[in-house]
Amino acid sequence: MIEVRDLRKEYGGFVAVEGSTFSVDEGEVFGVIGPNGAGKTTTLKTLAGLLEPTDGHAEVAGFDASDPRMRQRLGFLPEESPLYEEMTPLSYLHFFADLYDVDRAVAETRIHDTLDRLDLEYRERPLGDMSKGMKRKVAIARSLVNDPDVLVYDEPASGLDPLTTNYIIDFTRELADDGKTVVFSAHNLYHVESICDRIAIMNEGRIVARGSVAELRERYGRTAYHVYTSVPVEGSEPVEGRDRHERTVESMDAVEATREAAEAAGGRLVDIRTEDPSLERVFLDLAEGESDAERAVARRAEEGDAGAGDAARAEPPGADE
Amino acid sequence: MRPRKVLRIARWEVTKNAGGIDRRTVAVAVVGLLFAVALAPVVAGGGFALEDGIYRVGVAEDNVYHPAVASDPTFRVVDPEPGLVAAGEAEVLIADDRLVAADSEKGRAAVAELRTTVQRFNDARLRNESNASAAYPVFPVSLEYAERGTGTVGGDGGTDGGADGGGGGDGGDGGSDGGGGATATDDGDGPGVPSGGGGGQFGVPGLTGGVFGGGTSGGSPSDLAPPFPFGSLVLAFVFVIPLNFVIQAYGSSVLGERLNRRGELLLVSPVAPREIVAGKTLPYFAGAAAVTGVIALAVGGGALSVVAVSALALLFLSAAFVGAMFARSFKELTFVTVAISVLLMTFAFVPAIFTDVGSVALISPLTLVVRDLTGTGVGAGGLAFALLPTTLTALLLFALGTGVYREEDMFTQRPVHLKALDALAARIGGTRSLTLVVAALIPFVFVAELLAVALLFALPGGLSLVLLLTAVAVIEELAKSLPVYAGFLHGRYERTVRVALVAGAFAGLGFFLAEKLTLIVQLVGLPEQVPAGSATFQTGATAGPLVAGVLLLAPLALHVVTTSLSALGATRSRDGYALGLTAAILVHIVYNLSVVVFLV
Repeated sequence: MIEVRDLRKEYGGFVAVEGSTFSVDEGEVFGVIGPNGAGKTTTLKTLAGLLEPTDGHAEVAGFDASDPRMRQRLGFLPEESPLYEEMTPLSYLHFFADLYDVDRAVAETRIHDTLDRLDLEYRERPLGDMSKGMKRKVAIARSLVNDPDVLVYDEPASGLDPLTTNYIIDFTRELADDGKTVVFSAHNLYHVESICDRIAIMNEGRIVARGSVAELRERYGRTAYHVYTSVPVEGSEPVEGRDRHERTVESMDAVEATREAAEAAGGRLVDIRTEDPSLERVFLDLAEGESDAERAVARRAEEGDAGAGDAARAEPPGADE
Repeated sequence: MRPRKVLRIARWEVTKNAGGIDRRTVAVAVVGLLFAVALAPVVAGGGFALEDGIYRVGVAEDNVYHPAVASDPTFRVVDPEPGLVAAGEAEVLIADDRLVAADSEKGRAAVAELRTTVQRFNDARLRNESNASAAYPVFPVSLEYAERGTGTVGGDGGTDGGADGGGGGDGGDGGSDGGGGATATDDGDGPGVPSGGGGGQFGVPGLTGGVFGGGTSGGSPSDLAPPFPFGSLVLAFVFVIPLNFVIQAYGSSVLGERLNRRGELLLVSPVAPREIVAGKTLPYFAGAAAVTGVIALAVGGGALSVVAVSALALLFLSAAFVGAMFARSFKELTFVTVAISVLLMTFAFVPAIFTDVGSVALISPLTLVVRDLTGTGVGAGGLAFALLPTTLTALLLFALGTGVYREEDMFTQRPVHLKALDALAARIGGTRSLTLVVAALIPFVFVAELLAVALLFALPGGLSLVLLLTAVAVIEELAKSLPVYAGFLHGRYERTVRVALVAGAFAGLGFFLAEKLTLIVQLVGLPEQVPAGSATFQTGATAGPLVAGVLLLAPLALHVVTTSLSALGATRSRDGYALGLTAAILVHIVYNLSVVVFLV
């Protein structure tokens, strides 16, 4: 449904996006995460046809992103979407329905259905008198007024209270369940993790990692092994209230080395617990900079997990499934 | 352009803004507008005439001064009975080519007013003179006026006589007995009047058949009041006033789309920027046209006035649109709209003042309004001359502004010069569009060159000429090369020598064709106003086809060569462009000086 290849966007001398390549399947929820200034918004606006790529290609719903016909199939929600505050939700939504050539009766039904689903009760009140959460719901309703196939949402829950945020995130997931393709960015990684089928992590204009959450954890995450021994060994800490010592390592070789050290000291290995890496940890590692991420992967490779290191370094742009 | 989308956006623009204005404000605005419309004819007629008939003048119907006196409502004509002034039944008596005035404040004021009235009357006669060169001689003519008769009737204790002369006159020597009786001098053939001060006698050419008194008038054009359709101009002003309010509202609306990214969602909808711009502009243009129609009904204007003001409205709106697209805040927008108001009002008014002087006044559509109100006709050529440049300039401004109606320019603090280049680049694709864009810039080139002439012509002759030729070279080279530079900057053209030469050639050709087309339009539309152009063609004809061909094609060669120089620099970098442009300007200056030195 979405194909992006070697995308490059330059503002004057500043390169905002460099060599981005990814694809999104129909009905998939694709998350784009990264620190501020990573190029997320530029990528999403290029998909929406708002920005012309300096180089590369972006295709949405079978059309070039700059093709006006594409807009008929797209619902875009910018990070900040100031509304025309003099208008009411209904007049505002009907105006956009007209621009999208939606039949008046169909628009009437669709608008009210969407507002019902979003639980927006006040429909004749000026938008300027509404809360931020209400306005955001109207903005989301506007993105759906043309019943688009593709939704591009930039920080859909930005600046909203937790209740409204959860509501909107759940609603986004429902839209994907309805068959819509969703690309969205967010800072809250819990939300990304909870609704995204796949993720691209961007840093300094480049996609530094992509895949499902599980794949990213596997490739870039560092599984922690908490090794408990009956005697102290180098690097261990006594566990308070229990007659054992804990050492945290990041590879099975280190686990084995700990066991041998305990037995050499006349003790034994009592227990091992593993801790999966969080997406946040992966993100932070990658967001610290490409070189840092590479160092992390290289370290893992040195520690014996060569497969993950190869996967991280060898994945070329465009090799996405 | 899809009319349905445009109309929908126009309707939205109206309802959106209508929601922000309360009914009381609308009512006040409507009342204000009606008041202005009602007041206009009164103002144009000289205001409320409280002074009508305050001076009584005794003059016979067969007297040469009677038409002048009767034309001024300030005077009330009474029968010229002897002793009228002494009896206090009139302030002035004109009889037997003599003028007797009451020796009182009111009497002197009446005489002063009479002098002005006669001068105005004479001016009117000059204007109606079919032989314009006779009415307004090119060379100064010294006219000498002889005092024909002055006198006063003492009302307040005597007088020193009517002819107390002063520097301005040489004829007044009328005496007075100062005794309070009705006396008069009679040392001339005409009526005498007291001068009432140091100004001397009536310094007015006596086209009425005589003169009031001594005094010498230069008789040069500077001494003559030019034809000045004051009343019609005031009414024309009323037509233009509402435009200033309309562009304020329009500019705010356009800038409102840009601030806080409100217009971003319109850009992502399936509507082209030109449709958005057309839809947003339509209500303001329609409003301006409607107000113009109402004013036309009130002051007696016709369809010609509405059409002319509509063209001006389009120009005002287009300038406001470009200003709002370039301004970065409402503060900047205020400055921009005020500047637009002042500049365009000047453009509209200054030529219109000379409506009765020459056809070149038609460069302003407001001249059409004045002609419409004065009942003077205008031909098809004049109509085109008045409306086409204004309308085309407006459309060009809209096209340039629409070029930056996009995400990257609307919602960023992008420097103005880069936005200007974006606007040009948005209209450039291949060589044909480059040719058209350069040709379309001709109106701006002319305006800039006229401004340069206005600023520089007052300098000493040689310096003025050199600076003027330099300014012309700079203006023209910038106009030709900036679109080329924008094309390279935005990756429209490959940065090679061959492409630069082709782009330079087409840009030069576009400028040349537009320049010549403009000249032809001037010759066709206003043949009597373009002697220089006629002379050029005649020179070519008399000098033979070869010379004529060289004279015609030399500018083409110049434009192609110089633009190619700039284009070659533009392929490299900004500094390269600056270098190429400098070289092009130098070549252009040398060419201009050569033409002036060897051909003129």
